[in-house]
Amino acid sequence: MMKRRQFLATAGALTVAAGAAAALDRDPTTAGIEGTSRAGTLLPSRTPMGPRGLELLRMQEDIRRALKKPMEQRKWVMVANTKKCTGCFACVVACMVENVVGPGVTYRSVPEVEMGDYPNVSRIFMPTNCMQCDDPPCAKAANPLSPGAIYKRADGIVAIDYAKFRDKEVVEAAQKACPYTAIDYDEGTLWTEGTPSPQPYEAATSFEYGASWQRTGGKLPSASGRKCHFCLHRLEAGMVPACVTTCDGGVTYFGDESDPQSLVSEILRKHRSIQLKGHLKTEPRVHYLVDDTEATDNLKTCLACHQGKL
Amino acid sequence: MKELVNNDLQSPSCNLDRRGFLKTSAFLGGSTLLPDRLSSALDWIRSAEAGTTSPGASYPLAKPENILYTVCLQCNTVCGIKAKLQGGVVVKLDGNPFSPWGMFPHMPYKTSPFETATIDSILCPKGQAGMATVYDPYRIVKVLKRAGKRGENKWISIPFDQAIHEIVEGGLLFKDVPGEENREVTGLKDLWVLRDAKLARELAEDAKLVAAKKMTIADFKAKHAAHLDKLIDPDHPDLGSKNNQMAFVWGRLKGGRADLISRFTRDAFGSVNAHGHTTVCQGSIYFTGKAMSEQYLDGKWTGGRKFYWQADTANSEFILFVGASPLEANYGPPHRIPRITEGLVSGRLKIAVVDPRLSKTAAKAWRWLPNKPGTEGALALGIIRWVIENTRYDARYLGNANRAAAKADGEPTWCNAAWLVKLDKDGKPGPFLRASEIGLGTKETRTGKDGKPYEFDPLVAFKDGAPVPFDPYDEKTPAEGELLVTTELQGVKVKSGLQILYDSATAHTIEEWAAICGLKPRDITDLAWEFTSHGKRAAADIHRGVSQHTNGFYNVAAWFSLNLLIGNYDWKGGMIQASTFDATGGKEGQPFPIGKMIQGKQTPFGISIIRHDVKYEETTLFAGYPAKRNWYPLSSDIYQEIIPSAGDRYPYQIKAMFLYMGSPAYSLPAGHTNIEILADPNKIPLLVANDIVIGETSMYADYIFPDLTYLERWEFNGSHPSVAAKVQPIRQPVIAPIPQTVTVFGQHMPISLEAMILGIAEKMGLPGFGMDGFGPAVPFVRPEDLYLRMVANVAAEKPTEDVPDASDAEVELFLASRKHLPKTVFDAGYWERVVGDKRWRKVVYVLNRGGRFQDFEKAYPAGGLVGNKYGTLINLYQEKTAKTKNSMTGKSFPGAATYIPAGADVLGRPIADDGFDLQLISFREIAHTKSRTAANSLLLQLLPRNSIIINEEDADRLDLKNDDRARITSASNPDGVWDLKNGRKIPMIGKVQVIQGIRPGVIAFSLGHGHWAYGSADVVVDGQTIKGDKYRAAGLHANAAMRVDPVLKNTCLVDVTGGSAVFYDTRVKLVKA
Repeated sequence: MMKRRQFLATAGALTVAAGAAAALDRDPTTAGIEGTSRAGTLLPSRTPMGPRGLELLRMQEDIRRALKKPMEQRKWVMVANTKKCTGCFACVVACMVENVVGPGVTYRSVPEVEMGDYPNVSRIFMPTNCMQCDDPPCAKAANPLSPGAIYKRADGIVAIDYAKFRDKEVVEAAQKACPYTAIDYDEGTLWTEGTPSPQPYEAATSFEYGASWQRTGGKLPSASGRKCHFCLHRLEAGMVPACVTTCDGGVTYFGDESDPQSLVSEILRKHRSIQLKGHLKTEPRVHYLVDDTEATDNLKTCLACHQGKL
Repeated sequence: MKELVNNDLQSPSCNLDRRGFLKTSAFLGGSTLLPDRLSSALDWIRSAEAGTTSPGASYPLAKPENILYTVCLQCNTVCGIKAKLQGGVVVKLDGNPFSPWGMFPHMPYKTSPFETATIDSILCPKGQAGMATVYDPYRIVKVLKRAGKRGENKWISIPFDQAIHEIVEGGLLFKDVPGEENREVTGLKDLWVLRDAKLARELAEDAKLVAAKKMTIADFKAKHAAHLDKLIDPDHPDLGSKNNQMAFVWGRLKGGRADLISRFTRDAFGSVNAHGHTTVCQGSIYFTGKAMSEQYLDGKWTGGRKFYWQADTANSEFILFVGASPLEANYGPPHRIPRITEGLVSGRLKIAVVDPRLSKTAAKAWRWLPNKPGTEGALALGIIRWVIENTRYDARYLGNANRAAAKADGEPTWCNAAWLVKLDKDGKPGPFLRASEIGLGTKETRTGKDGKPYEFDPLVAFKDGAPVPFDPYDEKTPAEGELLVTTELQGVKVKSGLQILYDSATAHTIEEWAAICGLKPRDITDLAWEFTSHGKRAAADIHRGVSQHTNGFYNVAAWFSLNLLIGNYDWKGGMIQASTFDATGGKEGQPFPIGKMIQGKQTPFGISIIRHDVKYEETTLFAGYPAKRNWYPLSSDIYQEIIPSAGDRYPYQIKAMFLYMGSPAYSLPAGHTNIEILADPNKIPLLVANDIVIGETSMYADYIFPDLTYLERWEFNGSHPSVAAKVQPIRQPVIAPIPQTVTVFGQHMPISLEAMILGIAEKMGLPGFGMDGFGPAVPFVRPEDLYLRMVANVAAEKPTEDVPDASDAEVELFLASRKHLPKTVFDAGYWERVVGDKRWRKVVYVLNRGGRFQDFEKAYPAGGLVGNKYGTLINLYQEKTAKTKNSMTGKSFPGAATYIPAGADVLGRPIADDGFDLQLISFREIAHTKSRTAANSLLLQLLPRNSIIINEEDADRLDLKNDDRARITSASNPDGVWDLKNGRKIPMIGKVQVIQGIRPGVIAFSLGHGHWAYGSADVVVDGQTIKGDKYRAAGLHANAAMRVDPVLKNTCLVDVTGGSAVFYDTRVKLVKA
């Protein structure tokens, strides 16, 4: 079945290059794509779906409910159904603008693979971002060199203290440790390099971690390592993360897993899911649904290339 | 953007590290702008203290006063957007949850904008990246005048008033350009020669008599001796007045600006030459839609609408996408994607995709059918044959011959499948049979809508062995007929409409149809079975892959006919149409009938430069067949025909042309043919462009007026057929204008399309503009005089209770969220005076939501039907078409769907192009939009360049590997180059990408790369060289390889019936480079 496989370079030189390495390798959980479910009763082979607008509103309510609890009682998780991913890249660009990154930095990537032989061919798209591991290897690698550079928040978000994460050696250590290639170094360059003048949107303030940042002129978070933080600043404003809200296919779900009423809890209860590279025991907070054949095939395709440790 | 890995860069001289401060002030990157407005915005942003952590700090982008609701224009899907601002700068764009595009279901219209501030909806990557289009260092802010040869890219910036003066007055405008020392340019004042509407009407009527041979030329000349100097050619008075030698030509144009251009060109200047770009998009879908929607009113076929239908994505159980990829283009994302993915995952929906390339849509499909390009109509007819022979059609629906019969079955629409059509002596179908022709009943004299009497002769169906006369619109007496009829009545041979379609379908066996398409017979039967297994909740949804062939019109007719076979029109899950709130004031209760609010309105007359809406035979130019160039009696806005016709001066010379937001040189197939003409100032002597940058086509203009981008201007965007709700998304200024401020009619405003037109109108004293522009003492002196009235119209359309008055809090929000806008574009007091205080709060209510959107429940009421219905006759058989002749062959056009092999010249002769072994197609990646996303660096990071996509089988044969460079050549471009003139040539060389997901024998490239202007190349302005950004030039644009018509020689292949510019019928070679 997987006689032929190739990455499509046109799908984004950067996204593929950065993202291709991210995905999977063999482990007892993912090898058979059995998946785990939090409850005994499983729905038939279909993953849940309502009109996306209603899902977005429900997730927003879930987030607002969670915000009323103490931080340590929230458990932010993300769930993805890759069957719905159409490789539109809206999430990638929305994230880049929301967090005001410069060239070469993406918090998300959507690698694409073509498989099969004409005319039995398919294309798969695999959105990935920082998995917000409960046992984050990046923190273990970075903090001995720069104490407090990466820390696990009580709500589960793996946060960066930009001021402590500027040394390239520290960033490289964290990048090397991350099984998901989730960290990029922001060189501080502008999109308008080589043109008549910089433009004001490039100097926009971003609000990562609830603070105000402006990356021009070498200020933080430029010259620092950067990665996804589940749009913490949007969560705290009672809003859905940028990638989830803009997702054209309605692939991603977000919410508080510790709240049994939340959409993500319901999905994880009722459906099989896996975590990428689960065997590494980093306890990722991003779950991939595997109920649907197509979603399973997508993950199997990724597995085929990522059998060994990176 | 160091990531760019590409050897195809066109500007090796570009210095990446250059960050110079320009001396010319003509650009956004220049010195005039930064010191004032933008720098203050930058200061504001800098004032935010960077790097300090303040946990729980507020998120300003969630505050309602920092959000304005408007409409995207990164492509033409017209998604509602929220523009989020910091210090007057747009820093983030998200989906507008009031709009049905990005939110499914969308928020109830009465939701408060205070509530929606924290609710974002779906947007695509282009929409997300839009700031770079607006804040583009290569945007022009002053009027540029050509200082070198056409296309040489040497410019000077000149004052706005000077530009207006020169365009109106004419003269030796380019005497400083070598070779043009003595070139006298005719100014607009010398083209605006016929200014008397009454005289124009008289001339028009007599010219018609001359064309109809009811008046001699001599008599005409004698009668109008005093006015012959006003005509283009007194020997051909039907060409009209010299006013027609001014043409206004546009690419992307929406309501508001459309009304402005029409007012200027037609109503004020009196020219018939106002033409759009429809045929470069999905032209023949529109014009087949027009033919199929013609109604038989007052004894003639009239009122056909330039429109089409799409599937109701949210409710379909099966959609067959043909030549359409809604996951990438075709007004799909973000509106259709979530409806499709929801359906795929819930099990509600199954899709199949007919496309030579494995599109992202095909990647999600139950079946991918990689057909041979150009055989889409053949596939439809194969399916139709199977459906008819297996009686899988909706006989009850098809048998309804009139409104009463349809009504009795609960059907909003009906068709003419059961109507009888007369056959000529060779058995060829012609007009419908009328009752009087077989001695049935008598003709009836009725009064038409215009109050004039006309003769009504009933149509005829055949039922139970006897003819049945009927009125198609009879509400009371149902008429039904048999479907497959071939008979003779009173010596008249007739067939039913469906029989004629069936005859087309039986031209080949299923096996033969499959072979023509390059598919398997099983593919046809599987699709036919599936299509007819969901009642009315199935649809064949088509787009450019069907229409942009030489046989486009009839391909489209075949697919729309297939939909008729299951009677799915107006049904949930079937085929639906777009519905919009009227902005022009044509509806009852609307306060401002824009088109009527004009004194001294001109009545343009004559044949247009694209010879549309008129039959060649009925003109004084008729000189047998073939005509010199094709005529278009059934279609309009023939984009590929405008500049080439002007180049050939057929039927006359265009002396002044305005080009608005369009890039024919880049966008058209064989667009290089347009460059050839534009570069020669003797062909079109005065060429004026409106553009935001120096673009691929505007670089050939004499003057470029800077325009406002989509975040700085007004437009009324209408809708698309797959949107079920009735809507009117309104684009409005959300940031301070970037171009220079000028004074027109004593008013301050940014240079823009509006300022240019108002400026010309002021200079010339054109009717419909100025202090009495909208009537005595009702001024039209600034853009808001028009646009605010249009908003008031939208708010006033019934049911008016759906648009409440804005509350005090909402009015405050309206003002607070616009506090960064200068008076040149926002003046609340002035706005309120324009619409009147009674309407003001409704206007505020609408603008606070980015337009007017019908609630979800009204779009989808209970029951099987959609809320907004087409609701009338659909022509399976097109009498009007059958009675129209092809101006090149003299033969009548077929009246029903039929298969005509693709790839023919304008005379209908097949183009062989032996030795060119591959067929070239193009497509769109979701991350780019043809000519207009070149500035979007974020998108270029996603997709730095495109590739030539080829199947491994072909690649092996040609010894090509991934990333090899190859040149595309064709019979009409054997060198495979773009000749940009002035010694500049670009080879059509791209990198090869070898894949499985494309039909062998076909190669493809995505549109949007390979730029040669739009900031990608060096230009000289005011003596200073402005370096281009080489990333914008990356990749390849292969439109110049597309086949030039061998008869016309200066334009691409065309669909002679529907007018489409042909993208997909060119044979090419791929040569390793």
